[in-house]
Amino acid sequence: MEAKYINPFVAAAQIVFKSMLAVDVKMEKPKMKEQRTASGDVTGIMSLVGDRKGTICISFHDNGALFVFKTLTGDECDKVGADVVDAIGELTNIISGQARQEFEKAGINLSASIPMVVVGKEVELNFITKVPIISLPFSFSVNNGNRETMYLDFSFE
Amino acid sequence: MKVLVVDDFATMRKIVKNVLRQISIENVVEAENGKHALTVLQTEPVDLIISDWMMPEMTGIEFLKVCKGDEEKKKIPFIMVTAEGQAASVMEAIKSGVDNYIVKPFTPDKLKDAIDKARARVGK
Repeated sequence: MEAKYINPFVAAAQIVFKSMLAVDVKMEKPKMKEQRTASGDVTGIMSLVGDRKGTICISFHDNGALFVFKTLTGDECDKVGADVVDAIGELTNIISGQARQEFEKAGINLSASIPMVVVGKEVELNFITKVPIISLPFSFSVNNGNRETMYLDFSFE
Repeated sequence: MKVLVVDDFATMRKIVKNVLRQISIENVVEAENGKHALTVLQTEPVDLIISDWMMPEMTGIEFLKVCKGDEEKKKIPFIMVTAEGQAASVMEAIKSGVDNYIVKPFTPDKLKDAIDKARARVGK
């Protein structure tokens, strides 16, 4: 996978977290994803079509999703419910939109579906693609110095 | 200042309200699409409209065109807030009379700047 297809997703994650959550994310080691399952507990999914086609997933463990919800909305929440699911869907939409702007700068025009969100550990996700799935883990600081991870998994052809 | 926030996702309306709160704008009314927003405007005078693009029943662009075609509503500064930052989308909003256009993600400062420019554009 060429860097020109990875860099827009990296930039998008960093820009969105910094501007909307005021949080710095640190990209950990990318890897090829072997299992066709969600990386976290709450996963936003969007398809991309246009000059290329593929799928992007944004996935959090429960605590990460709750942190995102609280930071975005200003509301407290102690378990993943409909509002948290909406927030992760919206974050997926925003990161996808930012990534598409980055792709547009590189001359690659894409459109996106509306987001959907699945909840559950190791939910099977079938990327209908011939190319490998790349997983970009981004760690970020939450309350009390703990760190959580956002998994940005994508497959692009 | 009273602001009308229009978005079909309740959580996104909360997100926008949270950002508005950070720039000291607390007086906010909500609508879940353009059609609902027009109903709200019948009874709630507002000083600013912040609307999403993609919504069921009446999209942000359709709602914008109705507002800009009305003698009274066209005086209300109208900002489109959306994840659609591509050139074609921006042009369509401009041609439809949007007073400013802000692409997610946005910071409180970016939203405040967009609000100031939209208000200046309609002479407020």
